[in-house]
Amino acid sequence: MNRIEVQYFAVLRERAGVSRETVETTAATAADLYDELAGRHDFGLPRAMLRVAVNDEFTDWSHALAAGDRVVFIPPVAGG
Amino acid sequence: MQAFSFSSGPLEPGRYREALEDRSAGGFASFEGWVRDHNEGRTVQRLEYEAFEALALKEGERIVAEAVARFGVTHAACVHRVGPLAIGELAVWVGVSSAHRGEAFAACRYIIDEVKHRVPIWKKEHYTDGDSGWVNCERCAAAAHDHDGGHVHTHSTGDFAGADHEHDVPPAQDYSRQIALPEVGTAGQAKLAAASVLVVGAGGLGVPVLQYLAAAGVGRLGIVDGDVIEASNLHRQPLYGVADVGRPKATVAAARLHALNRDVRIEVHETRATAGNIDALVKNYDLVVECTDNFRAKFLVNDAVVRALKPAVFASVHQYEGQVQLYRPLPHWPCLRCLWPEAPRDGLVGNCAVAGVLGPVPATLGAMQAMQALKRLLGLDAGEAPALVTVDLLTLETRRLVARRNPDCDHDNPAATAATPATEPLELGFETLADAFESGLELVDIRETWERAHDPPGLQIPAHLPLSALVNGYLEFPVEGRYLIICAHGVRSRSLTEYLRARGQAEVYSLRGGLAALRS
Repeated sequence: MNRIEVQYFAVLRERAGVSRETVETTAATAADLYDELAGRHDFGLPRAMLRVAVNDEFTDWSHALAAGDRVVFIPPVAGG
Repeated sequence: MQAFSFSSGPLEPGRYREALEDRSAGGFASFEGWVRDHNEGRTVQRLEYEAFEALALKEGERIVAEAVARFGVTHAACVHRVGPLAIGELAVWVGVSSAHRGEAFAACRYIIDEVKHRVPIWKKEHYTDGDSGWVNCERCAAAAHDHDGGHVHTHSTGDFAGADHEHDVPPAQDYSRQIALPEVGTAGQAKLAAASVLVVGAGGLGVPVLQYLAAAGVGRLGIVDGDVIEASNLHRQPLYGVADVGRPKATVAAARLHALNRDVRIEVHETRATAGNIDALVKNYDLVVECTDNFRAKFLVNDAVVRALKPAVFASVHQYEGQVQLYRPLPHWPCLRCLWPEAPRDGLVGNCAVAGVLGPVPATLGAMQAMQALKRLLGLDAGEAPALVTVDLLTLETRRLVARRNPDCDHDNPAATAATPATEPLELGFETLADAFESGLELVDIRETWERAHDPPGLQIPAHLPLSALVNGYLEFPVEGRYLIICAHGVRSRSLTEYLRARGQAEVYSLRGGLAALRS
């Protein structure tokens, strides 16, 4: 189990109801973590549309997670 | 001589000038303020200056010392007259000697502007009608505005409401507060004056971008917006007023910005950004600020700046959050498509209309875009790595997420981002001129005037842009719109169409075979 700090933006924040949370997870990769949380919060946005950043750097969905990582899920935003 | 002094007798510029001479100085600049015979429409006979001397001397000395320190000039001094003065007399003198002229002019300007603004000096004018009044002291004027009493000023209520007093000649723009930054200076100000920026979208993000870039003295600003002002826009676009509802945004914005800073040349493009016009628009500017509210336009602008090798600043907002991204045409920099390879569809993730937004959110992100644009124009972003900056105004958290070029995004390959599909035909054939008129394209006759003189009746094409005038630059082919270009045999029209396509205009066509191919 890894303890990961997760932050949400835009529609993901609305769906999750919080802008950040700390999760205990067995997810091995960023993709696994998103799938797990998408199930819990009913995100409804396909992963292909989002970007993930781990420890303030954009990275691939296959990025292996380590305890204490900060993960941010970012959907594209268009408003202006 | 003293850095700042008062004189109750006539000023002696020759003597002051000598006092500033120095072997290390390569130039000298001075300013003289004279007593003129009129003010705000009234004829002035004479006037009196009165100063709160103890305070005024200290403040005056401080201003001269600031000028010497900021601009690195050799010597500087200012002398102000007090007591009664006649028309034509010298009221104030500023002189600066310096190694180079740029600093001398700038320091001289700084001193007189600051003296007028900060030093407690009052002026009493005596008019020919026997009346008199204490006027024109900027401190008093400011106080009168604050307390809404004292002096009476007329404010207009039309387009230029807020432009304030009726000046015979508008006062010069004062950039001293940004020139004072060592990283800006007069050289930086000159860079801004020489720069041009295209702002796509004059809404919640675009309004602060336009206001701050105009105020900063960016030499040329293009505004692209095809919308009219709606009442629901005003809470986040306070450049506009309720009386502007229904009027075109780009045109109203241009009027307001002109009132803000007349140094800036404002170009209105009252149109939406389209595949047909974006390249022609982008190529005329040094930098693009993307301020629209939809993915279609964002990716259109992204692809155009990538093609044109221009820097761009993107931003978008959602409720209480926003994102800012700078694009630079450098090999390792990511573009918008590097970050979002699957261009999202509009409506999927909400815009201001459906998701809601508080005005200061786009204002904050727009101000950040303006700052990114100024940094790029001034070269202050040299050490900045590519990143997407996210801002959450509920938690006041910002996050800088380092972004990299996506190896799968071939945005360097022009074919991958071409605005026009290669299959789009260059020529269209029509049976009759009536059919051509019905095509929905605007017909443009590019034949010479003498050729049109022989047209039979019924063959009149109202739009006439002779090719010779286009080639010689007397006329410009419009960048927006959908056109069918017509000549006698379809040869000249085809080459003009090829030229326009190459400059990025997608929706232009040549009439195949020209007028000769039509059945009358």
